[in-house]
Amino acid sequence: MSTAVQLEGITKRFPGGVLANDDVDLTVEHGTVHALLGENGAGKTTLMNVLYGLYEPTAGTVRLDGDAVSFETPQDAIQRGVGMIHQHFTLVRPMTVLENVALGWEPVKYGGLTIDEATIEEELRELSERYGFGISEHIHTPVEELSVGTQQRVEIVKTLYRGADVFIFDEPTAVLTPQESEELFGVFDELIDQGKTLIFITHKLNEALTVADRITVLRDGRTVETFDTEGATTQELARKMVGRDVLLRVEGRERDQGDPRLVVDSLSVRTNQGLPAVDGVDLTVRGGEIFGVAGVDGNGQTELVEAVTGLRDVESGTVAFDGTDVTGLSRRERMNRGLAYIPGERQEQALVMAFDLTQNAVLGSQHREEFRDGRQIDWERVRAHTAEIIDTYDVRPPDPTVLARSLSGGNQQKFVVGREFLRDPDIVVAAHPTRGVDVGSMEFIHEQLIEMSERGAAVLLVSASLDEVTSLADRIGVMYDGQFVDVVEPDAVTKTELGLLMAGQHPDEPDVCREER
Amino acid sequence: MRAEFETAAKWTVGLLGLVLALLVASALVAPDSVAGEVLDRMLDAGYASAVLRVSVPITFAALGGIFAEKTGIINIGIEGFLILSALSSVIAVVSLTGAGVDPTAALWLAFFVGIAVSVVTAGVFAVFVIRYQANQVIAGLAIWLIALGLAPFVSLVVFETVNSPSVGTFGTWRIPILAELPGVGPVLFDASPMVYLMLLAVPLCWYVLRYTRLGRYIRACGDNPRALDTAGISVSRTRYIGVLLSGVLCGIGGAGFTLGQLGRFVGAGETSIGGRGFLGIVAYLFGNYNPIASFGGALLFASFDALQFRLQEIAFLNVPQRLLQALPFIVVILVLMLVGRTRIPAALGEHYDEKE
Amino acid sequence: MRERIEWLFGVVLRFSAAERVLVSLSAVVFAIFVGGVVVLVAGYAASCESAALYILGAPVCYNPVEVYLVMLEGSFGDSFSLAATLQWTTLLLFTGLSFAIPYRAGLFNIGAQGQFILGSLATTVTLLWLADLAPSGLAGTLVLVPVGLFAGTLVGALYGLLPGYLKVRFEMNEVITTLLLSFIAADLAFVAVDRFFTTDDIQGTVTDRIPEEATFSPLVFPSSTDFSLPVFVFALVVVAGCYWLLMRTAVGYDIRAMGAQPKAAVFGGASQRFTTLFSMTAAGAVAGLGGAIYVMMILGRWQTGTPPLGFDGIAVSILAGNNPAGLLPSGLLFGALESGGRAIQLRLGVPSELIEVLRGIIILLVATPELFRLLGAHLNRRGIIDVDTGGSD
Repeated sequence: MSTAVQLEGITKRFPGGVLANDDVDLTVEHGTVHALLGENGAGKTTLMNVLYGLYEPTAGTVRLDGDAVSFETPQDAIQRGVGMIHQHFTLVRPMTVLENVALGWEPVKYGGLTIDEATIEEELRELSERYGFGISEHIHTPVEELSVGTQQRVEIVKTLYRGADVFIFDEPTAVLTPQESEELFGVFDELIDQGKTLIFITHKLNEALTVADRITVLRDGRTVETFDTEGATTQELARKMVGRDVLLRVEGRERDQGDPRLVVDSLSVRTNQGLPAVDGVDLTVRGGEIFGVAGVDGNGQTELVEAVTGLRDVESGTVAFDGTDVTGLSRRERMNRGLAYIPGERQEQALVMAFDLTQNAVLGSQHREEFRDGRQIDWERVRAHTAEIIDTYDVRPPDPTVLARSLSGGNQQKFVVGREFLRDPDIVVAAHPTRGVDVGSMEFIHEQLIEMSERGAAVLLVSASLDEVTSLADRIGVMYDGQFVDVVEPDAVTKTELGLLMAGQHPDEPDVCREER
Repeated sequence: MRAEFETAAKWTVGLLGLVLALLVASALVAPDSVAGEVLDRMLDAGYASAVLRVSVPITFAALGGIFAEKTGIINIGIEGFLILSALSSVIAVVSLTGAGVDPTAALWLAFFVGIAVSVVTAGVFAVFVIRYQANQVIAGLAIWLIALGLAPFVSLVVFETVNSPSVGTFGTWRIPILAELPGVGPVLFDASPMVYLMLLAVPLCWYVLRYTRLGRYIRACGDNPRALDTAGISVSRTRYIGVLLSGVLCGIGGAGFTLGQLGRFVGAGETSIGGRGFLGIVAYLFGNYNPIASFGGALLFASFDALQFRLQEIAFLNVPQRLLQALPFIVVILVLMLVGRTRIPAALGEHYDEKE
Repeated sequence: MRERIEWLFGVVLRFSAAERVLVSLSAVVFAIFVGGVVVLVAGYAASCESAALYILGAPVCYNPVEVYLVMLEGSFGDSFSLAATLQWTTLLLFTGLSFAIPYRAGLFNIGAQGQFILGSLATTVTLLWLADLAPSGLAGTLVLVPVGLFAGTLVGALYGLLPGYLKVRFEMNEVITTLLLSFIAADLAFVAVDRFFTTDDIQGTVTDRIPEEATFSPLVFPSSTDFSLPVFVFALVVVAGCYWLLMRTAVGYDIRAMGAQPKAAVFGGASQRFTTLFSMTAAGAVAGLGGAIYVMMILGRWQTGTPPLGFDGIAVSILAGNNPAGLLPSGLLFGALESGGRAIQLRLGVPSELIEVLRGIIILLVATPELFRLLGAHLNRRGIIDVDTGGSD
């Protein structure tokens, strides 16, 4: 085996002083899958962007097949056979598969008067067959009409079409069902068989162990260690990744459960495009209970949450808080009835990034009596409230005049959690509350959710992380295609069973082929 | 693409329906009644020719707008491009004929001067919005407002009055034999060269966007610039090309309207362009950014615009001229209500930072 | 979407209030310079009996320095000039607000001109109608002034509400609708006066004079001027009121949040429907109020050829950073340009359209803070301003 990629002493410092990579080394052999493991913010993506020519390293050398190279743009990298499949696909949604694959590399006819589509199509079919992508029938379909898994395969074909030998995958399974992930790993095998080299960025321990030949762990922008997969254990990897021992599961707990506080009855909701997203869902969350919603992104969880929190109109069905029908009530009225909501899109929804913390502290309460002084907002009281959030929830820097944008992800989330929970809510809806936050903040947010439920609130927790749902929730509803496939107790199911449910299959039922979404 | 064809089809059917309805009405209404006379005056070859002529600036503005917006740049400045090319083409004609150049040659040279001025204006706009990340709506507005002040200013300096003297126009090119065809002949084959240019430009723009590499890059650029960037095509270069093409097309529209139809520049009020650039913007919003469907929209607005010139001739109706001027705008708002939302390029108005 | 948001934040972040004032000032200085070049070129192209100066032997009709001096004198030179400047400033405060309020809600109101025109027409028609009914003297003033102001405000508000409604109901882009509606307003007002309200006294499309009791007489300033100090104070009160509304109240909070980040505003319980309708109506109302004052303080009647005060208002607001607090200095500048523009036309024969060119250039430059940031970074090699920090993972 020979070395395909070699990164030596890569340091990347951003203008403004953020040190994303600090003297990182990485060696990847030809024809292997190499996992790059680390938490959010560990510098994995930055490192790969350096290899891909998106960033210029502050120091260090990149070698391909032993030659030192210096890429100024991704095109230089592509010329040398390095391709990257980003987490956010670089596909033009209204354009067809063929148009996307050939973008920038179109062969032309008649002196550039028209594109030689036949040649592209031929090559595309050939690639699709050789690697078993199964996209031949979609060649003239706009990519926006394809499922996420298929779109990802289009990305891979695009990279192949450009002649890549080294593939960088950035968290490729984040958007996939466990079954789609399996299919992706099958594609990995094909690529390896054809002599390609794969670098696979992930923060999921099990995936790294299953798929990779070797694993490099990054933490705080530094290389921790490189392992052979054989003989490595989850615990060991987790310790390397986080830097200390971690509890992979929260302690089990016993709680008295009260009356139903949040009741959703045969709720149907449509997407912005008018397609059915939630299809007749029933759901009851009692006081003191945490109800988890698991599922692959895009199966109606977002729309369910938005319908409950008053951000989306329902098509039919009802939502009730503490026995009162709130279906027709506005978002503001629902908040007045004791609803707190931690949205998944924290930076887009929960904070006005251009406002300072004081202004953000009153977001959602701006019309409430307690913050009113005659006809205007009582800014003095708002400032006191801001100080309380900052103190109680340890938001750093503890400066109320700082703009929301300049806080780190974890501190933004702590501020949001603090603001929402200091309302002393009866009903808490949390969507992906720990996505993109550091481990310390994650544990803190988990404790807060448990505390809320212990104080008698009904908690609806939506998360793409199975670990989070299984460790926190009393019951788990698995959503697929707008419906609950099943509602289970976390101790009564295995991860595999959950995975199958997430793919829309009931473990008891015979295996049915999954259709394109 | 299918959706765009549907839109195109929708508009074609709509326009045919409109024409048909008018024809039926003219047959039903008693010929010697007021309505009969009005319809009689309107529905002749002269009116159809007028519609085509009047649609020239609107269509080219729409085509120009499509090229800019498909690359992701909102171009509200179209009206300004039209105004400046209209004025400069008149100044060029006056000075060239003054210098003893043959009148026809002067017209054509002036036509290109108008285009050149529009392109330079587009270039300035492009530098501001692409290189210096100006707010695209406000910058476009500024271009319009600058043109709105600069045009009468220059006209006053050069002609000592806000309205230019009259200059010649291209006249019509009669295509032998075809012009003899009953009905369409005099409309389509005895027209101003600007009309021919428009009839060529519409399918050409459609073809470029649909079938050439440049067209693909332009479409990708407005929808997912990152995809284009990672494919090795410069986003800002594509955007410069889009905005400059916008300048070329708007220049043809402004100079073509002035030298092909009006024969002078009016600097008073909203100038002789009088919002036709904005009608162009609405035309492509209708046409869902499809050049052919947008041309349909332009024809529709032009049919109301041309009414100004027709109904004035019918003296006994006594329709106030200013009311007729407002008519196309009122129609546009009413029609926009029916059309509803247009799918705009996903990255429209967003600055793209290449080194990120 | 997210990149866009971050970019917008970047723009906001990188430019503190002080820097934005600096950007505005630099834009004005730049525009004055460019305007000077335009004057020079125009002076070279124009023909005149005696040249103002010679450059490389070529006669140039206008001397830019002289033009700007005359402009300054014509706007602040004596109490008449000052009155003219403040008279325009008063109106520009209203049309400036008309752009600023919706802008804070994330909307562009390009239609202040139309709202202004219809407001002024409504005031005129209402006052003409009441002329015979109302008592004379002070009692008449007490009746006619509020009614006149209200009529203009109401019609302006309705004409602002219309594009707001079209936006929430039909998703029609307000940039286009407000613009087209302002064209339509000018035509409709013309036709209405031409057909129904025209006077026999003088030629042209002009109404009769409104009753004397409904006009504002000059105080402090010479009686031949058209500027009334109490009205100016009233305009400042309206501006202060709008500032208070936007910055201190819950509704203002909703509006600002909607303009800064619609998703977060909706999360916080604000309704896009409400902020759109409210801010567009408020915008129309202040523009209409400006129109009422235009008639009652300056013209005393309605006539065609309304100056482009609505469009100037866009410039006033943008130069003020769309913050009511900045409207006074910005309005003063454009008021001075307006009166100075008349002076240069009268005394030097330089077309007053020059100030419209300046207006456009100022808007363009203020919309381009990046230009000044790069310029600043270029001038100061140490790099005073922090560049984008980028993402770390």
